[in-house]
Amino acid sequence: MASTEIVAADLGFRFGRRERISDAWALLFANKLALLGAILTVIFVAIGIAGAIVLAFPSFHHLYLDQNLEQGLQPPLTPGHLLGTDQFGRDLAWRVAAGIGVSLTAGVAVTLISMPVGMAVGAASGYYGGALDRIVGGLIDLTWGFPVILVAVIIVGILQPGLPAVIAAISLVNWAGFARIIRAQVLSLREREFVEAARALGVPDWKIIARHLIPNTVGTTLVMASYYIAITVIAEAGLAFIGLGAQPPLPSLGQLISVGRGLLYVDPWAAIVPGIAIALIVLGLNTLGDGLRDIFDPRMRTYR
Amino acid sequence: MPTFILRRTLYALILLFIASLIIFYGMRLAPGNPGDVLLNPLNRIGLIEGLRHKLFLDRPLWEQYLIFIHNLLTGQPGVSLFSGEPIPNIIKQAGLNTLKLGLAAAILTYATAIPLGVLAAWKRNTPWDQGTMLLAVLGMGIPNFFLAILLIQLFGIWLKWLPVAGSDDITNIVLPAVVLSAEAIAVNLRLVRSSVLEELGRDYVRTLYAKGLKEWRIMWIHALRNALPPVIALAGIMLRTLLGYTLIVEVIFRWPGLGATLVDAVIRRDYSVAQVLALLLTFAVILLNLLADVGQQVVDPRVRERVQAA
Repeated sequence: MASTEIVAADLGFRFGRRERISDAWALLFANKLALLGAILTVIFVAIGIAGAIVLAFPSFHHLYLDQNLEQGLQPPLTPGHLLGTDQFGRDLAWRVAAGIGVSLTAGVAVTLISMPVGMAVGAASGYYGGALDRIVGGLIDLTWGFPVILVAVIIVGILQPGLPAVIAAISLVNWAGFARIIRAQVLSLREREFVEAARALGVPDWKIIARHLIPNTVGTTLVMASYYIAITVIAEAGLAFIGLGAQPPLPSLGQLISVGRGLLYVDPWAAIVPGIAIALIVLGLNTLGDGLRDIFDPRMRTYR
Repeated sequence: MPTFILRRTLYALILLFIASLIIFYGMRLAPGNPGDVLLNPLNRIGLIEGLRHKLFLDRPLWEQYLIFIHNLLTGQPGVSLFSGEPIPNIIKQAGLNTLKLGLAAAILTYATAIPLGVLAAWKRNTPWDQGTMLLAVLGMGIPNFFLAILLIQLFGIWLKWLPVAGSDDITNIVLPAVVLSAEAIAVNLRLVRSSVLEELGRDYVRTLYAKGLKEWRIMWIHALRNALPPVIALAGIMLRTLLGYTLIVEVIFRWPGLGATLVDAVIRRDYSVAQVLALLLTFAVILLNLLADVGQQVVDPRVRERVQAA
């Protein structure tokens, strides 16, 4: 039963789009770990959207900016403040929600910039091969694995500390990660019969890439995207923590931890709550990624 | 094979050139200029021109770039705009500290990951194995700066066993080294375990058992030795990652290494130090990439054949 589903998903190009998507849903529900990751991710995306809405509309700003010095440093589960308050009596739950919004937005922005670039470069390089592939391949190898933090510090030196510099820096490295995987996929896909058939029918190259090759790499791309959003959230937090990421008053998770660090003696919660939020977001995205990988590519199944 | 090395070296040089352009021009476009940083705003009229002349800022940009590269290559990268300290001294001091920290982290990584990984494979599906894998999951899941906070809270504030900042005492290196190596330990732990498990399924291991060899000898000598190549292959990637993390870990623990110095220089807009250190670290990463690539070709015969065929 399960094996027919896997084969169906693996040979997805034979079926219509609707069948492919329903197969993926069925497999997602069959894979408990992936489901857990998906649930965690959905919860945190919902919180992040709420946080982003609060940040976007000034009429909501009182939720995370209102101070009440008599109610500072309350522990979690205080009446009126689910996760307690910071040193100014600002509500920690709304601050963390806003921070999740900022961190996830950064992750999505990086993906929206680096994924199309990586896809286009990787697909062209894998499809055409030859000298183009040698040059692009060398470029990808050199860029991929470049320490994101180092690039970010350099870009911050050029621009100024803040979210745009961080997003630019991580995108500058991440496109190569997408390009690398897409290139490898296209390299094997272009030898398949359906590509040969399309070529024999006189379909132009760009159309083969756009209509027949890219759609077959969607699964891998989704897996990569979930990992890369997690990486971005961690990198942004690390940079915000040392004062180079999102700048106050815009809260990000790393910045909340950084502020909480100064309060460790009096109130460890201010650092621990956003820290747990990061750990859960990363756990959710990574498990979702592992699960998606199992669903889209049974050959890469993790050994359990 | 030689063409491969040649081509990779060429790419590395091109990338280094591009990086030097970005770092040099970028930091000159950056907001704020040395006059604002260095001179007393109430008493600087007339001094700005002198300073600009001294720093060659009145020359065209391309000439400034050539002067910068020339000074770098002849080992005279100038002085810090902030403290006036010669940059070679800064690099020597900070570089030594970063090397110390990196070495400590590397030793810690392999001294932990290899024995525990073998143990997990040997006693698989027992509490030993599960405990070790839990450690691996934690090491990969907790961001290193958050781990730093937890360790500072536990060992620095509650137990008061270890100092949390500085570099005066040998105990200062413990916490930063642990934080720096946490992820590397987790990754290597999983790799050693799966690699040893793979070896244990092979025929030669069955033969060794049949010969009546002691189990610990099979594990620690025969299986481990054959399981090591992937671990060595990963070392290049690990080093690169560690280099990136030093930037954050050194700042958190006030460890006066290259990373902390670069971040400080960027925040203070001390661009003479920032551009040299940024280029130095970029060079280190590119060199590590190149060595890892070439090393893998030399070590792995399958890759070598593929290269020859191409």
